[in-house]
Amino acid sequence: MLLRLEKVQRHFGGVRAVDEVSLEVEKGSIQGLIGPNGAGKTTLVNAITGYVPLQSGDAWLESQRLTGLAAYRIAGLGIARTFQNIRLFRDLSAAENVIVGMHSRRRDDTLAQLGTLPLFRRDQRARLNEAHRLMETVGLDPAEIGRRPAGTLPYGDQRRLEIARALALQPRLLILDEPAAGMNPSEKQGMRELIEHLNKDGLTILLIDHDMQLVMGVCQRVAVLDFGRKIADGTPEEVSRDAAVIKAYLGTGSERQVSSAPGATGVEDVTQVAQASAKAKPSQEPSAALLDVHDLSVSYGSVNAVRSASLRVAVGEVVALIGANGAGKTTILSALSGLIRPTSGTAYFDGLDLTSAKPSAIVRHGLIHVPEGREILGRQTVLENLELATWARRDRSAAASEIEAVMKRFPILGERRHLRAGTLSGGEAQMLAIARGLCAKPRLLLLDEPSLGLAPQMVDVVFAAIDEIHREGTTILLVEQNALRALEIADRAYVLETGQILLTGSGDDLLHNPAVRRAYLGG
Amino acid sequence: MDFLIQLFSDPVTFWNSHTLLISQIAINGILATSMFLVLYSGQLSLAAPGFMAIGAYTAVLMDLYLRTPLALNIAAGTALAGVVGAVVGLPVLRLRGVFLAIATIGFIEALSLGVILNLPITGEGLGLKNSNADPLGGINLVLISLVVVVFLAWRLIKGRLGYAWTAIRQDELAALSQGIDVARYKLIAFVLSAILAGYAGAAESHLNFFVDPNEYGVTRTVQVLTFAVLGGSGTVLGPVVGALFLTSLPYIFKQAGDYIGVVSGLILILVIIFRPQGILGRGGFAFVRPRWWPRAQVRAPST
Repeated sequence: MLLRLEKVQRHFGGVRAVDEVSLEVEKGSIQGLIGPNGAGKTTLVNAITGYVPLQSGDAWLESQRLTGLAAYRIAGLGIARTFQNIRLFRDLSAAENVIVGMHSRRRDDTLAQLGTLPLFRRDQRARLNEAHRLMETVGLDPAEIGRRPAGTLPYGDQRRLEIARALALQPRLLILDEPAAGMNPSEKQGMRELIEHLNKDGLTILLIDHDMQLVMGVCQRVAVLDFGRKIADGTPEEVSRDAAVIKAYLGTGSERQVSSAPGATGVEDVTQVAQASAKAKPSQEPSAALLDVHDLSVSYGSVNAVRSASLRVAVGEVVALIGANGAGKTTILSALSGLIRPTSGTAYFDGLDLTSAKPSAIVRHGLIHVPEGREILGRQTVLENLELATWARRDRSAAASEIEAVMKRFPILGERRHLRAGTLSGGEAQMLAIARGLCAKPRLLLLDEPSLGLAPQMVDVVFAAIDEIHREGTTILLVEQNALRALEIADRAYVLETGQILLTGSGDDLLHNPAVRRAYLGG
Repeated sequence: MDFLIQLFSDPVTFWNSHTLLISQIAINGILATSMFLVLYSGQLSLAAPGFMAIGAYTAVLMDLYLRTPLALNIAAGTALAGVVGAVVGLPVLRLRGVFLAIATIGFIEALSLGVILNLPITGEGLGLKNSNADPLGGINLVLISLVVVVFLAWRLIKGRLGYAWTAIRQDELAALSQGIDVARYKLIAFVLSAILAGYAGAAESHLNFFVDPNEYGVTRTVQVLTFAVLGGSGTVLGPVVGALFLTSLPYIFKQAGDYIGVVSGLILILVIIFRPQGILGRGGFAFVRPRWWPRAQVRAPST
């Protein structure tokens, strides 16, 4: 065993981010670690690498106890990692980034530096050559990009460079935290080949990713986390047939039978997908739309997060936008509410041009965004949070009765009106976020991941509330990871894959569409 | 303008008539390098005047009471500043950004109220007379020191230490993941910076006949920080150029008289608008345009 975790535990406040997880990583193997959003995967990695201290339990690297060691010591012992949200030294050149990685095995040359130059130059050249070699290992061309600042590299290259920097430590264990996040299928394939190549050279890898096909494809063993607990551990085949895993991954509450985990027997047949999408296409896109988005593209620097997306929402509809992590769902909502600007395309909301209007004007026009992660004001009371939402209203008494109506709609908020919002549970906080949106009298409500990080019963409650709001006449555009739940309440849905709308159709159609599973779970 | 004309047409007379300015530039250059070291390792420390005061008072007091030679006085002042730097740095460097800045200002104030203004030996706020000062002879000392200090700093940032500092400045978490002991390297930068500031203080006290307690306050800190901002903190020479520029500004714009503060303020604002990376920073001038100015349309690449 190279890495051994024994009942590792880490809580944040009342949240059990990692709850008595035991895990063993065999030397020379690729171990997978998967789980839905918020399952505690990254926290577990941070615990292993010493970024957050363990509250109980033990971690061992062969015979070396890791518990209580500082992060830099653990890195020095040979555990290298990459980060979910790339953390390169952006202003340093690509080659310099790799040279920084050699720190812990580099002779301290501080004093030699002050005097003897030639010796230093020779060492420096040797280090530069090694950096170039490592860049070649991960498939980067040092001649072309070696001198460029790391922050200016294309997204996929940055991911590779981060791996090269990690390799510069000459690690015994390499932890990859979502190395394929935000990549398109061909880049993902390249990443997969790189991982297999590194493993063939004898490197032990702990791979965390959302892309089931990648994880199931390259790993010898896979562990599954859900709500901080390990719910399964075994070969990919065993795990993919595990009922608990299927439930955790595809979403809760749905009684539908799913015969295997996503990805394992995923629909790879492209023609089948094409047929399915052709069949689904003509479904009732409304002619008179409240929201009309056409050819919308958004990029973050070199990453094209959304590519030519078109969608429409008519008055009174619930429309779901589903897709895997990093598909571009949240980006679309942020573009619609004016928080980020699209690079091209048009978006109109009842005659208002959303691509140029100020966010405040968009809100006044009745398009209200309930953001991912709720963003409520934790130190204010529930009532104060709601009062803030009506802040722009002239008519105070109408606003007050509005708040009372919303509190009646969510009785739990009425009961807790004088509690600080920060003390609410996740589900209650989500209710508050939605209630705050309702106070602004929306004509179109954008809900971003309302079920994120909620316990199953809470998800039921939140979805029931959404359904009820809809029946009272509010138009809703819903973004969800929990695809099955979203499709159940949606009139229509759009399926996003790596920034593009793959197909659209009525909720019921898509529920039975094999292509959905493919888009949702990667392809 | 006379100032610049004289500089180029008659350097010898210029040198002889501006010794005070030149030695002040050298002292400020060393201080700027002290600031550079902390900024280069990603720390906004404003403690420099405190360490200067330690250097200055130690050197002068040793001269007054022990009659020890100059070199020993300066060395002792510098060393004591380094020791205090280590003691202060250990707890304070857990803080980051603005909080570190506030804590280091707290250090200056505590030192000033607790030691400089209240101990009989330091003159209780009246300052110290330093009759052995040598303003003319000291000029060579401080100029050579400046060159040596800049060279050493330049060499340091080229090696393992410099790489570690850069990594910490850019991303502490990522630096940890590369096996860099962040706390240790931050402390090294802080102590080196304290040593330089202490040295600058001790050397400065040798140039003036009077050690003025009011010199070592927050005003001085802001001035030193301005050197780095104005010159650009990305290279060793940037802060030194900032010091050179700001120190000679009152001489260049002699006509401004009492309004020199307004002039230097305006220049500082212009530099920050048009060259936010500093005079010696990389890249050209920032193109500042009003909101209504037409912008290039960005098109999404077709995929």
